[in-house]
Amino acid sequence: MKKEITFILNQEEVKAEVQPEWTLLYFLREVLGLTGTKEGCGYGECGACTVIVDGKAINSCLYPILEVEGKSVTTIEGIISRDGELHDLQKSFIEHGAVQCGFCTPGMIMSAKALIDEKEKPTVDEIRHTIAGNLCRCTGYVKIIDAIKSVVDRR
Amino acid sequence: MDNFPVVGQRIPKRDAPQKVTGSAIYIQDLKIPGMLYGKILYSKYPHARILAIDTSRAEQLPGVKAVITGYNIPPFKFGFFKDNPPLKSGKVLSMRDEVAAVAATSPEIAEEALEMIQVEYEELPGIFDPIQAMQEGAPILHEGLKSNVLKLPWRLICGDVDTAKKESHCIVEDTFSTQWVTHCCLGTSGCVASFDINNNLTMYSNTQIPYLAQRDYIDALNVFGIKNRKVRVIQCIIGGGFGSKLDTYAYEYIAILLALKTRKPVKVLFTREEEFIATSPRQSTITKISHGCTKEGKLLFREMEMILDNGAYTSWGATTPSVMMMPISSLYKVPNVKYIAKCVYTNNTYSQAMRGYGNPQATFAIESSLDQLAEKMGMDSYELRLINANEPGEITPQNFKVTSCGMKECIEEVAKRIDWKGKRGKDKGRGVGMASLIHVGGGARVYKSDGCGTIIKIDDYGKVDVFTGASEIGQGSETVIAQIVAEVLGVNVEDVNVINNDTDVCPWDVGVHASRTTFVAGNSALGAAKKIKEQILEIASKSIGEAPEHLDIQKGLIFSTKDKEKNTPLGKVLRNAHYSTGGKMLMAEYFYDPANENFDKDFKGNLSVSYAYGTHGVEVEVDRDTGRVTILKYIAAHDVGRAINPMMLEGQIYGGGLMGIGYALSENMNFREGRLMNPNFLDYKMLTAKDVPPVEPVIVETNDKDGPFGAKGIGEPGLVPTAPAIANAIYDAVGIRIKDLPITPEKILKALKEKEKRGQSGEEGK
Amino acid sequence: MRGYEYYKPGTIEEAIRLMTSLEDAQYIAGGTDVLVLLRQKKIKPGHIISLRNIKDLAFIAHHNGLHIGSGTTHAEIERNEIIRRNYSALHDATSNLGSVQIRNVATIGGNICNAAPSADTACPLLVLDAGVTIAGLEGERKIPVDEFFLGPGKTVLRKGDILKEFVMPLFGPTTGSSYIKHTRRQAMDLPIIGVATRITISIGKNGGELRCRDILCTIEDVSNLLARFEDEELRCEDIRIAMGVVAPIPMRAKEAEAALKGKIISEKLFEEIGEIAANEAAPRDSVRGEAWYRREMIKVLVKRSILRSIDRIIRPDDMVYPERLW
Repeated sequence: MKKEITFILNQEEVKAEVQPEWTLLYFLREVLGLTGTKEGCGYGECGACTVIVDGKAINSCLYPILEVEGKSVTTIEGIISRDGELHDLQKSFIEHGAVQCGFCTPGMIMSAKALIDEKEKPTVDEIRHTIAGNLCRCTGYVKIIDAIKSVVDRR
Repeated sequence: MDNFPVVGQRIPKRDAPQKVTGSAIYIQDLKIPGMLYGKILYSKYPHARILAIDTSRAEQLPGVKAVITGYNIPPFKFGFFKDNPPLKSGKVLSMRDEVAAVAATSPEIAEEALEMIQVEYEELPGIFDPIQAMQEGAPILHEGLKSNVLKLPWRLICGDVDTAKKESHCIVEDTFSTQWVTHCCLGTSGCVASFDINNNLTMYSNTQIPYLAQRDYIDALNVFGIKNRKVRVIQCIIGGGFGSKLDTYAYEYIAILLALKTRKPVKVLFTREEEFIATSPRQSTITKISHGCTKEGKLLFREMEMILDNGAYTSWGATTPSVMMMPISSLYKVPNVKYIAKCVYTNNTYSQAMRGYGNPQATFAIESSLDQLAEKMGMDSYELRLINANEPGEITPQNFKVTSCGMKECIEEVAKRIDWKGKRGKDKGRGVGMASLIHVGGGARVYKSDGCGTIIKIDDYGKVDVFTGASEIGQGSETVIAQIVAEVLGVNVEDVNVINNDTDVCPWDVGVHASRTTFVAGNSALGAAKKIKEQILEIASKSIGEAPEHLDIQKGLIFSTKDKEKNTPLGKVLRNAHYSTGGKMLMAEYFYDPANENFDKDFKGNLSVSYAYGTHGVEVEVDRDTGRVTILKYIAAHDVGRAINPMMLEGQIYGGGLMGIGYALSENMNFREGRLMNPNFLDYKMLTAKDVPPVEPVIVETNDKDGPFGAKGIGEPGLVPTAPAIANAIYDAVGIRIKDLPITPEKILKALKEKEKRGQSGEEGK
Repeated sequence: MRGYEYYKPGTIEEAIRLMTSLEDAQYIAGGTDVLVLLRQKKIKPGHIISLRNIKDLAFIAHHNGLHIGSGTTHAEIERNEIIRRNYSALHDATSNLGSVQIRNVATIGGNICNAAPSADTACPLLVLDAGVTIAGLEGERKIPVDEFFLGPGKTVLRKGDILKEFVMPLFGPTTGSSYIKHTRRQAMDLPIIGVATRITISIGKNGGELRCRDILCTIEDVSNLLARFEDEELRCEDIRIAMGVVAPIPMRAKEAEAALKGKIISEKLFEEIGEIAANEAAPRDSVRGEAWYRREMIKVLVKRSILRSIDRIIRPDDMVYPERLW
């Protein structure tokens, strides 16, 4: 049976009828067409579906849609400024060669964003600890860590 | 070497902006109006007879539009040996055998329908060990065959190994084995098959071989009774390749069959579990190797015998011995070589291409064995490697013509940076090791063609469109091609647009494999850019009043090299070309097919125009109590000819390196009686950001005479020597040699304990 | 996605009422395990009762010891400074379980109620003498966490029961604890085996003053370290050892504890208790690890975990360990 929910998505209020069995990922991708958030495994083991809920990085594939009621959700589509300027992390990923096939990238950036939003100057170890739940097969992670560190260093 | 404004620069990857914003469209994201979702039912047993399939309940489920089985599709087999039907009838030969498929209005309904399909099996005894499968009286998997050994006699003989053995001062012999590992593309496999009203097929695909896949699909359509139709392959942004998409798979034919039956576009998208189970991994191997050398340490012979588990069907995995021949014959100077390989059918999964294409397996055996030889000789293995290192100008026993070769530099760089002399054999529990590689660096003529086409056109404002056959799988080919074109044409790299994903639009290419794209597609783009530049300068010469050979372009300005004051903007020349009587359209095409050779019947020939070399050095620490290995330092030196884009090149080295470390230490597809026990990221131990050791890439530039701006390939080499370098370092650290990948803590601890026991009982232990 | 009803009760009572009134209902906390099971169709409940919106389940309180609501996420525990210092084993477990994304939603209650032999928080709770409070239709009851597990996936919980909170006693400055999770990679992994210990020590010599701090900062051989402990008469006053993935349920190594309690620490004694603990365990071969290796690792990790626990008593402000040792 469908239920109505209200929550904030990328700074805008969303009211929607949802099926209880939907995950947040399903709702974002299949209902809203926000396909920037990826599904890499569906089991919370790869991090490709990472979005931020109330300031915390979570796997949207394991997040029941009804639990976002009243919460604030940020996806990769929501971190660009209104005039289209990329987020520092997005710029840094581009500049540092942190992107190859790109499938892990949105989730990786969202994990990094949750970290730097919470912590002014995370260490390299904290960066690694934070993105350990985001698997990447292409880059060997080095340039991803460099890209995040560079944003932190410029603060 | 010359410095260039664009080539050699750290230009950001061209498609990165769409990827960091989530706007890149992968196959996962693609929806076409009216599209149905296909799902596949796999076998319940690794070997069984199908007695009956009842699809009636599934067909009645609302939302289900078609159900197909091996019994109601046209007879068709695909694959390198044409031994694999997209849906099986009669017998299933592996757990990944496709038995039925459903198209429905949603993936959920399609999945539910699969559960309603009743299949009755009679289980048959399986064969899961290639050695057993070769034995007399073993059940034959494929009906009509006399043996499980494939009719693929891989056999390379160079010189005279038997005589060399007699002449050798020192000989070592041992057996090494490697496991199945899989690509783990973050984006799972998938496609959408869509027919137009005239039965022309459009395949939205992840393929690495758009033009070969096109041919495979046309062959299939002909069998399906759709003759003489057009097939268009459009690639979405691809979420990782690594070789996994070098062949066509059953799911693609199933999508085509379902689309034909329903007259709707049909999408098949793998779940992660399917990706593990139903795509084809790197093959497992068992290798017997021996090496012999002179008193001075000069290699005299190398002999290898190999058994490859082919699995139940045949894809490119069965042809990897052809690439293994490369390191076997030509890694270090070794005059006498013998190599025999057998591929054997079993009820396991069947293998395919994966980054390195057999080279990592062969190099693991070769480089481990070389360390053994050095030890037996009482030599420093670094010296042994230097003595035998490949050199420019050499013609190897397999008739490879070595042009540029920075192998010695790589070995020396590694030794210096890892502090070889200071650390080798010194510290208990810590050790250093190294291993080198050879790989094709100037294309590889594995098909009849090794070509790639490029078309370039320029608009009225100096913006360049490059249509290339080369596919982009994340490695950065679009950026390298844009850099090369921008460099030649003297325009900003931002003004070069690369179109690379549509067989209707782009020229032909043989595929993204064999580390060939920078070299082959790069040379193709270079040729086309030079051609169009000639045209532009020809036109400009009239308006500037200078002979074309004295004109050049920089930053969008055409100028006389004799008098820089004589110039005109590129855009103006281009517009004039269009807006004049008898005008001219500026467009050029170029097809580059390197002057390399197919192997002859004896598997000899200059496979590649140039060869890539590299050496990895690693320092490890072994925890003697737990068997766990920690990598303290990792040096990866690669002869790349020239780095067109050092940033992306490092990306290939880091990425390949970590994939190689996983291959060496943690990754393993754990099959038990044909059943994959770890089809998920939790239990398949692909490494995480916390597992990354300190890696130092070292780029050795040798400026290859045939490479575009001197470049050679680097896509695969990053993981080729990783496992033996680590194995050699572990031996240096604790005196045990693990000959069976992956080198798990269990294997190390067991070996340490056995060594201890032998030590106590007074036996000589190693 | 098969349909089910989803309930979000705001109180424990309401949740229990719902659960007892419904057929085929399933509690869900962080959902990181349940959603996987749902997707794999291993469970097909008609009703899901979410415990995420019950405020009374999510808290960390410090009065007469430590109280942790079952709905507290691993991330919240990981961030708690008092837990890091005084209940270090629990910090160890919660900071290396799954990924940040998992820890941000997965709860300690969920980890325990799943009753997996590999549950990371189980061993720390066992060594920290945790009690659990269970709320049920007939009111609350308290049991030691030792009695909570019955088998893989089986607990003492009855229909409708909710594990409400964990209570742990106060420990003084001479007590330290640790949890070592032995894995194949550094993150995103389940333990091949897990070992937690808690130890209370006293020093016989030097007027009870701890002087071994200097040696703990070095990468001395374990033998030297233990010799020094023995020399300073470092005595084990109290000890808990718990092991995961070595039996159907997370278990205490009680014989090993008894062998160590009251004794002065020495290398010989350490060897013995490793052996004893390994003999108490009944590890099995599985896809994730071989029995013989698990048994060997018990011997190693019991020692290392105790050393780490002692280190935390002696150097409470320094959380950097010489990794070569333990």
